[in-house]
Parts: sequence; structure tokens; C-alpha cells
Amino acid sequence: MTGFVHQALRHASDGQFRDTAAAFVRDGLHAGDTVVVVSACEITLLAESLGSRFRPVECFDAHDWYDHPSRTLRRYHPYRTRQEPNRRVRVVGEPVGEGRTDFETREWMRYESLVNVAFAGSAHWFLCPYGTRVLPETVARSVTRTHPELVHEPGTAADCTDPAEFGAECDELAPARLPAAAAGIPFTRGRAAVVRRALTAYARRLGLPEQRTYDLLTTVHETVVNAVRHGGGHGVVRLPSDRDHVICEVSDSGAHTVPPHPPLPGHLPPEPVAVSGHGMWLVRQLSDLVTDRLDPSGSVVRLYFRRPGRGHPAAGSVNS
Amino acid sequence: MAVTPPLKTVGQMRQGDHLLLGYDTDEERETVLVAFLLDGLASGQRGLLLPPAGIPAGVALSFLEAHGCRVDEELAAGRLRVDPHLAGPEGLWDLDEVIRRETRSAVGDGFLGLRVCTEVLRAQAGKELKTLHDSELLLGPVFSSLPVLGICQYDRRIFDETELGPLAGLHHGRVGADAVWRDDVLAITRTFAPPGLALAGEVDDTNVTAVARALHTETARARARAADGARIHLDLHELRFIDVGALRLLAFTALGLYAAGGTLELSGVAPHVQRVMRVTGWDRVPGLHIAPEGQEGEGP
Repeated sequence: MTGFVHQALRHASDGQFRDTAAAFVRDGLHAGDTVVVVSACEITLLAESLGSRFRPVECFDAHDWYDHPSRTLRRYHPYRTRQEPNRRVRVVGEPVGEGRTDFETREWMRYESLVNVAFAGSAHWFLCPYGTRVLPETVARSVTRTHPELVHEPGTAADCTDPAEFGAECDELAPARLPAAAAGIPFTRGRAAVVRRALTAYARRLGLPEQRTYDLLTTVHETVVNAVRHGGGHGVVRLPSDRDHVICEVSDSGAHTVPPHPPLPGHLPPEPVAVSGHGMWLVRQLSDLVTDRLDPSGSVVRLYFRRPGRGHPAAGSVNS
Repeated sequence: MAVTPPLKTVGQMRQGDHLLLGYDTDEERETVLVAFLLDGLASGQRGLLLPPAGIPAGVALSFLEAHGCRVDEELAAGRLRVDPHLAGPEGLWDLDEVIRRETRSAVGDGFLGLRVCTEVLRAQAGKELKTLHDSELLLGPVFSSLPVLGICQYDRRIFDETELGPLAGLHHGRVGADAVWRDDVLAITRTFAPPGLALAGEVDDTNVTAVARALHTETARARARAADGARIHLDLHELRFIDVGALRLLAFTALGLYAAGGTLELSGVAPHVQRVMRVTGWDRVPGLHIAPEGQEGEGP
């Protein structure tokens, strides 16, 4: 019995968390499973309770691990290939709840939902603790819709929603108004180099570090190539950056045919030998947050890059 | 193994040019000479080879045969000539006079000029290459005044870079093989040691097909060189940008080579390109080797 399990543990006290998680870890170690604990502050609670038997557990600080949803999803993937037959990967994964903007919070809710697709068929067993004392009400409620199982809540039925549907709901909440941007950079087929030049100059004006500049160039280029390929051949890049983020918005006028885009584009890692799908995957991995509205009558993809020095996402800049 | 970039490619040469070719392999030498001599035939100029040893003319020029040139016919018609002058012990002493005379003779025979290729053995270069220096120095006025252009060949396995540097200064610079492709943002050139291609500039959807074509041709060459396991080296030191579509092509090319026991080796892969390859999983494609150099820190 090593099928995929994704459980939420809503707890009101440290003691409740400690007892459940410790049992979970202990059972895993006993069964020879790989055990991973990602926690913001509760690792010490667990360690106290488990003592020396805690040693084989792989521990990560949640503030590093849960930095950007797409990158976090990728971090859990390597455990798939390391897995021995009939052994599980047990994860106590406690996303950082506090200090997120509404936008970030929504993307983390989407992340929990995507876990159900990303690891379906794997031997991963996620136990996701949510401390209800500090959690925003919206998140606490969404947990029932993003987790197939709830631990210690016999009275509450999990109401797990299809990730595509849940993602669409997240998209509906999206239209945060962006600052007006200066004139955009128009692009057409074969003219992506013009966009790259303009972005390089823009990144230099902002004083972005070199690696971030390449991230910007690469992700916008791939988005533009997608827009040319699927969005009618031309469009415009606007740069409506705000206080916290450098924002690149790529819009096209639409191909006016049924879009061939797959469900959850770029959320799941493509096979290296796949003929497509690497572009959007890369876009999500190299930027900090992405919103996409893919529509045959015109798509809009926004890429967000947290400005240097504007706070760690987990450290919290409460601004929406 | 820093290679000074050639000032000119062989296809850009024109009358009056006196350029130095430092070559690492016979394939490199022949690639440049084939272009140089065939361009001469196409331009109505006589081609003259001054080899360092007394080899029969047909043998000395046999490398042209594979490129559709009927060497015997061209020799018989006087469009190509081989002169063993430099094979003699005193060959360098009057080289300027020989080239002056040969140029006039070519024009007298109805040609539009002369293309000359010289090479000397190290033994004839004199103590500390003095004889060679003096000879090259005297060639300057010949090339500047007559309808002649020439390539002086130097085997880099025999002459090292500290010797070639000063010698290059006695020429109008260096010559190298023609670019395989050149557009506004990308140049693809052949490399010979190790054999492969160098990409300089930017690769995206506009020119990825040129890269595919070059890789395809290079694969055929690599297979001809080594029946078991074609190895292609890609020098990416001067590559500023490569997009996902082009990297996918490299991954697929590597897989194809791997299936036949070969490899695609990348050197000079910038940290940001390595990062993209890691995120897409292309750094682990069988047959694709990334030469380690520099350190990279992936941001959190």
C-alpha cells in the first residue's frame, strides 16, 4: 500500500501537532520510508518528542522551502526517482501561512491543489499541518478543498475539488489592478530579439542583478514565443512594475482558434524528451509568481519578480 | 587553448591580402585551402601551392578532389600549379621574387591574378626563425603592389603561439575557415581541435534551423571520422542567449548521437544556461556532456 496520500492536519495546539506528526514520522522510520520534514518552527517540537530517532529525517526550513509555489513543487519531485519499491516518501510539509499578500496566499492555495495532480501515482504521503490559531480564515477553509483527507476531523468531509477547477477559481480572483505602464514593446513573429534588447535595457535601468536579468529575459522570451506560436503571431510586452515586483505582462491578440494548451500549463515538469511544455515550465520556475489567462481571443500572462530588497516572500510584505 | 579570433574568414579575402593561417589539424588546413583555391578558380585567378616538400602536384592537391575539383584537368590547363621551390634549402631567400614573378606570369597567361599558399618546414626557418621573419617581411611590398593574395600556413603543432604572434604581425592578420552561418545575432563557425562548432551570439526561433543544419552536417563529419561513437564538441563561450527550443534541439541531437554510441559535448556553458538545463532536466540527457567550468549558485 504505497499510493499517493495528501492529508491536512488542522490543529489548534502545538501538542496536537506534535503527537500526530511524531507518530507519522515514527511509523515512517519504522517502515524504512524516506521522511522529510519542512517546518517553520515546529521542527524543534518534533525533535524533542522523537529524540535520537529523529536523525535520519531530512529537515528543511519552510521559509527557504516554501519560497515560490512552482519551485516548491519541483523540490518534491527528485524524491520520486530516489524511491525504493514498496517504500514511501513521507512529508510533513508546513507551508508558511503568515505574512503573505492575498496574491501569494491564493497561489499557495493553488499549490496545495496542484500537489494532487503533480504526485498522483507517486508514493508520496503528504501531511500538511495548518495551525488554525494563526491561519487566515480563507486558507483554513480552502484546506478542505485542496486535500483529499483531513486528519482528526471525523465530523468534516473533505470536499476535494478538481485542481483545474480550483485553479480557475483562483484565476477569477486575479484581476489586481496594475499600475499604468509606459508604452509597450510590440512583438511579431521573428522579432523576439527586439523584446530581449528592450528588456535588457530595462533590467539595467532597474539595477537588477545579472542572474535576475537572465531570468527576466528567458521567461519573457519564452512567453513571447508562445504568444507568437499560439496567440495569432503578435502582441505586446508591458512593464507595469509596482513597489514590490518587477512585472512583465505579455499579451497577444489571440489566434481565434481552439487553444491547444494543456490543462495546468507549466505546472507539472515535462519529460526531458517531450516535444513541448518546457517553455511554460521554465517560466514558472524562473519567475516568482505567474498569472495566466490563456484565451483564444487573446491571452495575458503576467510574470512577477520580487524586487531585490523588497523582503523575503515569507518575511512578508503585506501589500496587495 | 585560447585561439586568437581570425581577422578574416577565407571567403572574405581579396587582392592584396597576405594572411597567416595557424592550423591545428590537417582537416582545418584543407578546409581553408579548399575554399581559397576554389574561390580562385571561380574568380579567374591562378592557384599556386608552394609546399614544404617535393610532392607530386596531383598528390599535393588531392584534397580538392573530394570537393568536385578535377585536379589533373586544372593542372593541365595551368589554372592550378604546384611549385616545389620551398622544398629546397634556400627556398625562403628569394620567396618574394618568386611570388612577384609568378604573379606577372599568371597575368601574362590571361588570369585575373594569383592566389598563393606557402608553407615551410621548421628546419628552414633559420635560427630563432630569423630567415622566416626576413622572408615574410619582404613579401609585404609584393602583396601591396600586385594582383595577388596569399595564405602562409603554420602548423600549430610545430609553431607555438609565442612564435605565431610576432609572425602574424608581419601579415595583414589571420585567416580562418568560413562561417557556417552568420546573421544579425548569430555566427556559427567550425572548430577543429576539438572538432565541432562554435556558436557566438544568440540563438532563438529565427535561427535555430541554421544550428540544426550545422549540427546535422557536423554529425556526418564526425561519423566519417569515427565509425564507433561520433563526438561533436560545441563551444558556447561566446553564446549570450539560447532559448528553450534551441536547447531542446541540442538535447535531441545528443540523444541521437548517444543511440549510435556518440556524444555531444558542450563547453563554455554560461551559468544561466546551465540553470535552464537543470530546470528542464536536459543536463541529465544521455549523450549530453557539459564540461565543468566556473561555479554557479542557483538563487533560492
